[in-house]
Amino acid sequence: MSRSKQPQWDFGELFPSEENRTILTVSELTSRVKVAIEAHVGEVWVTGEISNLRQQASGHAYFSLKDDRAQLACVLFRGTRVGQRDLMEDGLKVVAQGDLTVYEPQGRYQLNVRSLELQGVGELQVRFDKLKQKLQGEGLFDNERKRALPKYPQRIGVVTSLDAAALRDVLHVVGRRQSSLEVVIVPSRVQGQGAEMELARGVDQLNRFAESSSLDLILLTRGGGSIEDLWAFNEEVLARAVSSSSVPVVSAVGHEIDFTICDFVSDVRAATPSAAAEIITEGAVALRGWLDDIGYRLMREVRRRLGVGQANVEQLSGRMRRCHPRRRLQDHMQRVDELSEALRRGRVIHLRGMMERWKMLSDWLRRFRPGQAIALRGEGMTRLRADFSGRMRFRLRCKSDHLVRLEERLRLLSPKNILARGYSITCNSQSGEIIRQAAQVKKGQRIRTHVSKGEFDSSVE
Amino acid sequence: MAQLESIVEEMESDDLPLEKLLVRYEEGAKLVNICGNKLKVAELKVRQLEEEMEGELKTQPLKIDENK
Repeated sequence: MSRSKQPQWDFGELFPSEENRTILTVSELTSRVKVAIEAHVGEVWVTGEISNLRQQASGHAYFSLKDDRAQLACVLFRGTRVGQRDLMEDGLKVVAQGDLTVYEPQGRYQLNVRSLELQGVGELQVRFDKLKQKLQGEGLFDNERKRALPKYPQRIGVVTSLDAAALRDVLHVVGRRQSSLEVVIVPSRVQGQGAEMELARGVDQLNRFAESSSLDLILLTRGGGSIEDLWAFNEEVLARAVSSSSVPVVSAVGHEIDFTICDFVSDVRAATPSAAAEIITEGAVALRGWLDDIGYRLMREVRRRLGVGQANVEQLSGRMRRCHPRRRLQDHMQRVDELSEALRRGRVIHLRGMMERWKMLSDWLRRFRPGQAIALRGEGMTRLRADFSGRMRFRLRCKSDHLVRLEERLRLLSPKNILARGYSITCNSQSGEIIRQAAQVKKGQRIRTHVSKGEFDSSVE
Repeated sequence: MAQLESIVEEMESDDLPLEKLLVRYEEGAKLVNICGNKLKVAELKVRQLEEEMEGELKTQPLKIDENK
């Protein structure tokens, strides 16, 4: 693009002549720079500290990588798979891998991050997560793998440092709660280079020990510290030793907030060393309470049964007293007394009644004066007798008169009288039958004839 | 302890003759004592496991300084 007018601020030779100028638009230039950068720098690894991190709602993240002298704009697009997008924060040292490019609208070069590795603590975190994922993938954290601790452990193994406060915490709690517990310690460093090897060896040794002696569980413990301090408990070699332990393992590393791989892979995780000791001795403490309770229940049961028995005996002896022979005898004697008393009373009453009745009767007798009555009746009798014999004599004279008259009449009616007047009576000689009709006799038949004086037999002609 | 539990349960089941009840009580009381005594060991036994040259494992008493 050329101009006809000489600009006001022409500095002559300083600038090439107009004909030799190649004037670019911003877009063109930016585009050239972009090509140059992408061609000559392209994919890089760069280390720096994250700053000015902005996580956008769109899912893209913008930040700068800086060191003490420069900074680099970086963008992490959504969908780019990096290990620990969530763990990114200002101040974190990282190694970023990506393509250096130019964001044309702002004329700014930037790194399109493809992967991000945390360094230092960040790096540990990534290693932690990687191992966690790996072991989880193998199923080493599965709940089905977790074994229950023996309820009443007698002997436990502890892998820890002899100098650690953790050990004294554990021994203090155990001594207070279950002094009968035997503690077998395998001293081991719990931090620093190679500590994980010592810890793992401790677990192995205790497992070997458990082959010949009884060992109820293994406690792996150390107190709190930085992530670096606790790191030994995040090493795979220890995780493997714990997961292959045939004795149940309790892991108590650091404080409540600290989780280690060892915690995940162990059978029981305790928040602190003291908490672990409490979990281990829980059974014994509960047992003590249970023993008190069961002793009480034993006693109470015996008391109760004895009480019942005693009540039974009392009741029975009461019943026995009631049916004792003497008691029966007494009852009978009393009854005899009662009856004889009644009898006596009854006889008197009866007698008195009789006497009253007698008195009544004799009064009555006196009142009726039977002698007088008898005299009266006697007079009546005499009178009646006189009366009776008079009547009797009269009736007899009447009857005898009547009889004389009847005799007279009878005499007049007698057959003798009739016979005397000349009549006779003829009858069958054999049967005595009086013959009233001629037909009653046959020729030659014997008949008897009665006359006034005598009789005679004859035969029919 | 399972034995103790079953004894108490048997006793509480109510149909135990008195003679048997008393026998059970004595057994139970004995077991309570045994269990109690096991818990009442005065001093914590702390030993250290050591591996000898031949790989043999031995334990020996260990004194831990409480005030350290």
